[in-house]
Amino acid sequence: MSTMEEPLYPIAVLIDELKNDDIQLRLNSIRRLSTIARALGEERTRKELIPFLSENNDDDDEALLALAEELGVFIPYVGGVEYAHVLLPPLETLCTVEETCVRDKAVESLCRIGSQMRETDLVDWFIPLVKRLAAGEWFTSRVSACGIFHIAYPSAPDMLKTELRSIYSRLCQDDMPMVRRSAASNLGKFAATVESVHLNADILSIFEDLTQDDQDSVRLLAVEVCAALGKLLEPQDCVAHILPVIVNFSQDKSWRVRYMVANQLYELCEAVRPEATRMDLVPAYVRLLRDNEAEVRIAAAGKVTKFCRILSPEHAIQHILPCVKELSSDSSQHVRSALASVIMGMAPVLGKDATIEQLLPIFLSLLKDEFPDVRLNIISKLDQVNQVIGIDLLSQSLLPAIVELAEDRHWRVRLAIIEYIPLLASQLGVGFFDDKLGALCMQWLQDKVYSIRDAAANNLKRLAEEFGPEWAMQHIIPQVLEMSTNPHYLYRMTILHAVSLLAPVMGSEITCSKLLPVVVNASKDRVSNIKFNVAKVLQSIVPIVDQSVAEKTIRPCLVELSEDPDVDVRFFANQALQTIDSVMVS
Amino acid sequence: MSLDSVPTNTHGNLDEEISQLMQCKPLSEQEVRALCEKAKEILMDESNVQPVKSPVTICGDIHGQFHDLAELFRIGGKCPDTNYLFMGDYVDRGYYSVETVTLLVALKVRYPQRITILRGNHESRQITQVYGFYDECLRKYGNANVWKTFTDLFDYFPLTALVESEIFCLHGGLSPSIETLDNIRNFDRVQEVPHEGPMCDLLWSDPDDRCGWGISPRGAGYTFGQDISEQFNHTNNLKLIARAHQLVMEGYNWGHEQKVVTIFSAPNYCYRCGNMASILEVDDCKEHTFIQFEPAPRRGEPDVTRRTPDYFL
Repeated sequence: MSTMEEPLYPIAVLIDELKNDDIQLRLNSIRRLSTIARALGEERTRKELIPFLSENNDDDDEALLALAEELGVFIPYVGGVEYAHVLLPPLETLCTVEETCVRDKAVESLCRIGSQMRETDLVDWFIPLVKRLAAGEWFTSRVSACGIFHIAYPSAPDMLKTELRSIYSRLCQDDMPMVRRSAASNLGKFAATVESVHLNADILSIFEDLTQDDQDSVRLLAVEVCAALGKLLEPQDCVAHILPVIVNFSQDKSWRVRYMVANQLYELCEAVRPEATRMDLVPAYVRLLRDNEAEVRIAAAGKVTKFCRILSPEHAIQHILPCVKELSSDSSQHVRSALASVIMGMAPVLGKDATIEQLLPIFLSLLKDEFPDVRLNIISKLDQVNQVIGIDLLSQSLLPAIVELAEDRHWRVRLAIIEYIPLLASQLGVGFFDDKLGALCMQWLQDKVYSIRDAAANNLKRLAEEFGPEWAMQHIIPQVLEMSTNPHYLYRMTILHAVSLLAPVMGSEITCSKLLPVVVNASKDRVSNIKFNVAKVLQSIVPIVDQSVAEKTIRPCLVELSEDPDVDVRFFANQALQTIDSVMVS
Repeated sequence: MSLDSVPTNTHGNLDEEISQLMQCKPLSEQEVRALCEKAKEILMDESNVQPVKSPVTICGDIHGQFHDLAELFRIGGKCPDTNYLFMGDYVDRGYYSVETVTLLVALKVRYPQRITILRGNHESRQITQVYGFYDECLRKYGNANVWKTFTDLFDYFPLTALVESEIFCLHGGLSPSIETLDNIRNFDRVQEVPHEGPMCDLLWSDPDDRCGWGISPRGAGYTFGQDISEQFNHTNNLKLIARAHQLVMEGYNWGHEQKVVTIFSAPNYCYRCGNMASILEVDDCKEHTFIQFEPAPRRGEPDVTRRTPDYFL
């Protein structure tokens, strides 16, 4: 495969630059290591380049990181899988350096290479490497070792397997917490490769040691292992060994551990089988929902819906709902916000009656929360409740609060309300809508904030689509056109935008008789920005109207604009004229 | 007046660059160089006191807070539909000085009539080497070429603007060596911001509660009292001085009995000050409307204030 198509000279330069003082040049060379290797050929790569790279390990971390990454994909350049083992020595050295991200990358590359190596080669080369790293004097090599056991183990003969398990067990009791952390976070991967006989005997005892580690940073990594092990174990073993650990962790003296449990309790529940035992986790969860630390309550509150879904409605109502009520008036706004982001999803879980009796009052109080994120989180998910209790009840109980929020001082809250309006309109029907919401929709067109005006224009289009052109002719068009003389140019611009959105919905006739005159009139506006937006709107209207209208009304207007003193007006007018021309041709 | 028909696709590339910048993705070094070449041609022809027509939306410091600039456009409207006047300090402090200043310059090149960009005291070689823009260029481009290109361009930015002959807009404030707008029109601005003198003062001075001129605690420019503002407005037939340069908690702040207003458009300045930002809309009836806004919600960036546990407070 190696050909000498690329000239020799640059290769020599690249090789030279591997030793250059300038880090940028060295990096550049390392990034093109495969080019160098191809030029050298497989044999010289094995015999010269790789040994050279192995010696070169006191470089900048950045260069080492690049090297660690390149070596991971280097098998083709040393002659294929049968020679893969020659890549192990340089990576072994990189596994021992000080900088964590270099070590992590080296471990990643080792895993990649190891998973391609032949079984006999793994036994001859890879497993001895694992053992050397695990016995390393300096903690860095032991940290790295933990990450490659799962590659080595499956190919090992029985004797070696026993040895590997006992080495891993030793790493879990290492003096250095860094090593124990690495052992804990890799335990799930390793356990997945271990035969089930040994799972119960060896792995579970390793795991139990970790769960009682005196460092909370180790224990909290063990929390994740619960879920991984839970999936591997038989149900009865799971109940016997994993469940008590989770319950203990939920009362751990370190809040960081409790936070981890709160964050992962749902995944842990999924892992714990049979389902009946999930009830045993309810008290643990309730404790977390009432934890002293706000951080833990935030994590727990955010999982409330997911958790309720795996319980029966009765249990959810009996055990979880009282906590939810408490959380809705929690002293931390972030707890309330986390709750508000998921609580709407509880409606389908609890069913209609419980939602009306228990959840609605909570929604209402959260809708009035002083913290805008809380209000926003509720509004953006109103439709989930809709499906459960029906629109009538929802509108009766929540509409007053919604109307109040239509004037909220945070524009993102107003935006969320506007975006909910089309759905509300479709479900409430015309009559109810006219009474309560029509005026609001017009009011938003004159909001101070551009994004609200923009959304208001879009909203009108969607309403016109929902209720039809006839309704729009009565309830939207006159009001909109009335605003086209607003003294503020940005508000006039919103009206132009609304017109361009409404035109396709209203159809050719109404566009020509009602909308077009207003647009043409706006072409004489005192403000250039309005004029070039007129050009844009006319451009968008051309496909809707008859050719004769385009020729008689739109073209003359655009021709006039194309001679405007303002360069932008001329630009957009000419662009619109080109559109007319192309429409006429086709 | 000759009205050549405007070729319609000459802006294609620039329009693409603008939409790329709107996503906070910087241009390449070559693109920046070409852009700044064009910007120089346009800015060179602008006056030290650049006349601006209403309606226009006046904005203060941005300081590399790109996501808040995007929020500003969500509040005030998009360029070119809304006309803008920025009063300097686009770079330094925030994480996205490169994207921020490139976007504003690109908009200036694409729509010279719709946006005015003045010079702030941070648009300078010296200041940007201390407060972040230089380092950011180095980090994002691997060399200082882009920094050099931009700081060379900054020399051409106009120093002040005059909206409808009645609102005088500038970054800092007045100078004891300037009595009339013609004084400003007459000097050569194309240079690094000097350490002293009228050009320095326009970019560095602050209004003060005390009368007369005072020594500025900043070490450059002066402080000026209400008497000075009144005299200057009277002499030059002005209604208002609009300036930026100082953090104000509400985003805008009246001073000198409504003769001076400070506008600051970087909310939660330096990601920690907790201030509101604001912009000033001067509409086509010359009515004034301030719009305040808060930091844009950020995806991906850690929410610093949120995670501070109670016991640190």
